Amino acid sequence: MSLWVDKHRPRDLMKLDFHTDQAVRLKSLVQQSDFPHLLVYGPSGAGKKTRIMCLLRELYGSGVERLRQETMTFTTPSNKKVEIMTVSSNYHIEVNPTDVGIHDRVVIMDLVKTVAQTHQIDSSGQREFKVVILNEVDDLTKDAQHALRRTMEKYVATCRLILIANSISRVIPAIRSRCLTIRVPAPTETEIASVLKLVCRKESLNIPPELAIRLAKAADRNLRRALLMCEACKVQQYPFTADQKIPEPDWQLFIRETAALILSEQTPKKLGEVRQKLYELIIHGVPPDMIFGGLLKELVRNCDMSMKCQVASHAATYEHRMRLGNKAIFHIEAFVAKFMAIYKKFVEESMGDAF
Amino acid sequence: MTNNLKKEKKWFKPMFDFDDEEKPAKKSKKETHSQKVPEDIEPVESEVLDLKAGQKPIIIKDHQHWLKTFEPVKVEDLAVHNKKVQEVEEWVKTVCNNNNSDMLLMTGPVGCGKTITLRVLATKYNVRITEWITPVDIDIPSEYGEFEFKQRQSVRFLDFILNAANFTSLLDDNNRKLVLVEDFPNTFLRTPSEFTEVLQQYRQRAKSPIVFICSETHTDNKNSAANIFTPSLKEQFKIHHITFNSVAPTNLKAALKRVDSIISRKHTAVYNCPTADVIECVVNSSAGDVRSAVLNLHFACLKGGSRQNMDTSIVPGKESKSKGVRKKKQTSSKFMSLGKDQTVSILHGVGRVLNPKVIETETGSKKFTHSPEDIIEQFISQPISFVNFLEENYLPHFSNIDHVDKAASAISDADFMLAEWREKMCQEYGLYTAVASLMLANKAPISAWNPVRGPKNMKIQYPSARELFLEENHLYKGKILVSDYQTYCKIIGNKTGT
Repeated sequence: MSLWVDKHRPRDLMKLDFHTDQAVRLKSLVQQSDFPHLLVYGPSGAGKKTRIMCLLRELYGSGVERLRQETMTFTTPSNKKVEIMTVSSNYHIEVNPTDVGIHDRVVIMDLVKTVAQTHQIDSSGQREFKVVILNEVDDLTKDAQHALRRTMEKYVATCRLILIANSISRVIPAIRSRCLTIRVPAPTETEIASVLKLVCRKESLNIPPELAIRLAKAADRNLRRALLMCEACKVQQYPFTADQKIPEPDWQLFIRETAALILSEQTPKKLGEVRQKLYELIIHGVPPDMIFGGLLKELVRNCDMSMKCQVASHAATYEHRMRLGNKAIFHIEAFVAKFMAIYKKFVEESMGDAF
Repeated sequence: MTNNLKKEKKWFKPMFDFDDEEKPAKKSKKETHSQKVPEDIEPVESEVLDLKAGQKPIIIKDHQHWLKTFEPVKVEDLAVHNKKVQEVEEWVKTVCNNNNSDMLLMTGPVGCGKTITLRVLATKYNVRITEWITPVDIDIPSEYGEFEFKQRQSVRFLDFILNAANFTSLLDDNNRKLVLVEDFPNTFLRTPSEFTEVLQQYRQRAKSPIVFICSETHTDNKNSAANIFTPSLKEQFKIHHITFNSVAPTNLKAALKRVDSIISRKHTAVYNCPTADVIECVVNSSAGDVRSAVLNLHFACLKGGSRQNMDTSIVPGKESKSKGVRKKKQTSSKFMSLGKDQTVSILHGVGRVLNPKVIETETGSKKFTHSPEDIIEQFISQPISFVNFLEENYLPHFSNIDHVDKAASAISDADFMLAEWREKMCQEYGLYTAVASLMLANKAPISAWNPVRGPKNMKIQYPSARELFLEENHLYKGKILVSDYQTYCKIIGNKTGT
C-alpha cells in the first residue's frame, strides 16, 4: 500500500515545499566534498527525515534508495546478546539505538566501529565516507551519549553521523558542539494547507481550502499526520466537504476517555482504573510525553484560571522528573493523583459556596 | 582391632571414606553414648589440670565432638517437623528393601536438618551411608611445573557412586546401603548435561538408592537444586523430591531444650546452663537454622576464661520495651552480636510497608514495629524491584486521595533518585523516600485482604510495518508508527482492501 505521505515525499532538496532557504544551504553544503556531523532537530512531522534522505540522494545518487533490512547482534559487557534492526543501503545505515533500552551504548560503539572500519569499495566518484543515521538521539542514555562523543572524533575520517532528535535540550553539550545543528521548525498551518492542496492536485482531487486549514489545525502542525488524515478523509468521504468529520488518532480518543475518568470521580479506586488505562497506552507504544501532554490538555479544560496555573506547574514538575527517571508510569500516576487532590478540593469548595 | 582394620582398608579406594565417627553410632546408640560421655569429659579435665591451677581455661580436645554431642540420636530428637520425618522414613523403608536405583532429592534452606534426618533414619533402619566428597582434582605440579590432571570429575564421580552402590563393605556384611551426594562436583554445575549421563548410567547399573541433598537459597543463581535438577530431569529419572522448610520456632525451642538437658547432665564443666531467656534469644536470632542455633547457644553458654557469665556479651535487643512486647507474645529480643540476619522475602517486605503497625512505647510516643531503616536494610541490594512492587500494590490500601497524592509524589521522587544508579547513596535515599513516605502517608488505611501483585511487564509492543499494510523497508519505525500512522492506516487499509 502506498500512502500519499510516502508517494509524494519530495526526493530532491530543491523540491521541498517549505524552509526552501535552508534547503538551498544544505545543497551547497554537500556540494563541497566534505561536511561535518549533523544534528537535525525539530518537532515530529516537520520533515527532518525527508530532508536527510534528500541530502543523502544529493550525496550518493539514487543508490541510497535501495534499502535492505538487517538484524544486527551485539554482545553487551555482561554477555547478553542484544538484537537491533537496521535499515541500510550501500552508502548509509540507519538505526534506532533506543530500541535496545539501556544497552544503547554497546550498539552505538560497535555499530559505528564496524561501519567506520569498512571502506567504500569503489571510491572513485564516490564520497570517501559512509553515513550513519541515529534516530531519537535525545532519548539515548547519558552513557551512550558520552560513548558517541568519543566515537564521533575517532572515526571522523571514514564516517559521518547524522543525528536526529526532537529537542536538543537532552543532548549533552559535548555532542551539540561537535555537530552542525540544524533546526527544522514545524511548518505553519498555511504551509501545511498548501502542501495538502498540492498533493490533492497530484492525485487529481479537489480539496476545499477550509478543510485544508481544518486538517492543518487538527494535525497539530504535523505534516505527516495532516497528510494521513487527509487521505483517511478521502477514503471516508469524497468529494470533500468543508465541514466533514476528521478522524482523530486512536490514542487521542483513549486519552480523552482517561481524562473523563479522572474528572468523574476522585478516589484511589478510580486512580486504580486510570492506572490500567495508562498501562495500556504505554504498552501499545504511545510515547509517555504525548500521554502527559494529552492528559494535561484535556484536564485543564475543566479548570478555572488559578487552578490551571497550579495544575500546569505540577505537570511541568512531574514531566521533568519523568524525563530524568526510569518508570514513566510512576510520574504520570503521581500527576493524576495530584490533579485529583486539587480538583476534589476545588469541587468541595465550590459546593460549599453554593449552599 | 580397629586399628588393624583401618590399615587394611587402604587397598581399597582411598576416597572411600568410612565415617569413623559414624561407625560406633551404628550399634545401639544408647550404649555408645553413655560410653562416650566420660571420654568426652575426662580429657577436658586432665588438660585443665595440666595448666596452671589459677586460670582454668577450658579446652576441648576433639574439635568435632562438641557439636556432635548435641546431635540428635533418635528420630524423636529431630527438630524437623514430624510429617517431613515420616515422609523421608517412608521412602527409606520402602526403598532399602528392594535393590533398585531409586533416587531422592532433598531440598531446603541451610540448617533445617536435611542431612541429619537422613542419617538418623539410616541408623534406625541399619542402612550404611556412603557419601561422596569432591576431591581436589589436580595433583601437585610435577618437577617441570606442569599440572597433571587426573581423571575427569564426572568419571570419578560415576565410578565412586557405582562402587558404593554395588559392593558391600568388607568390614560389615550389611547389604543395606545408600549413596549420599551433598557435594556436587563443579563440572555438573557448569554442564548439567554431564549429570544426566551419569544418572543414566547409575539407573542402569546401580543396585542401591541414591540421595541428593541441596541447600536452597533465596537468590536463584546459587540454587544448585534448581540448576541441576530441572523438572524434566526429575521426570525422566522419577526422582522423588522432598522439600524441607526452615525449622519452626517451637520445634527449635524443643531441640534447644534437649541440648540444655544434655548440658546440665554432662557438660557443666564447660558450659553454664542456659536460662530460658537465653534459649529464646537464640531461637529469635537464628531464623530457623538449627545448626546455627546450636552454635550460638554454645557460644552464649561457654564459661569465659575468668569464669564470668557470658551474659554481658549478649545484648538482648531493646530490653527496655521487651516487657510490654512480651505480653503480646512478640519477643523481639535477640543477640546483637550473634546469629543470622533475618531474611525477609519481598512480599513480606511489601506487607510491612503497606500495613505499618504502630505501637506505643512506655513514654507515650508512637513507633513503627518495623522501622523504615530496618526495611530498607533488607532491600538495599534490590531497591528498584522493591519500589516497583510497592508502586504496584500501594493503591488498594488507601482511602483518601490526598494521602494517595503524597504517596504517589514520593514514589515519583524515589524513581527520580533511583535513576541515578551510579550513586550508591541515591539508591539508598530513593528507597528510603519510597518506604518511609508510604508508611507515613496513609492516615486512613483500608484494612482488607489485598493479594500482592508483581510489577507489570512493560515491554512495549510496537506494531509491525506489515500489520499496517506498509512496506517492510518503511522509513519509520516504532513510536511514529503508533502516534501517526496506526489509526489512519487502518482506515485507509480497510477501505481500499474491501
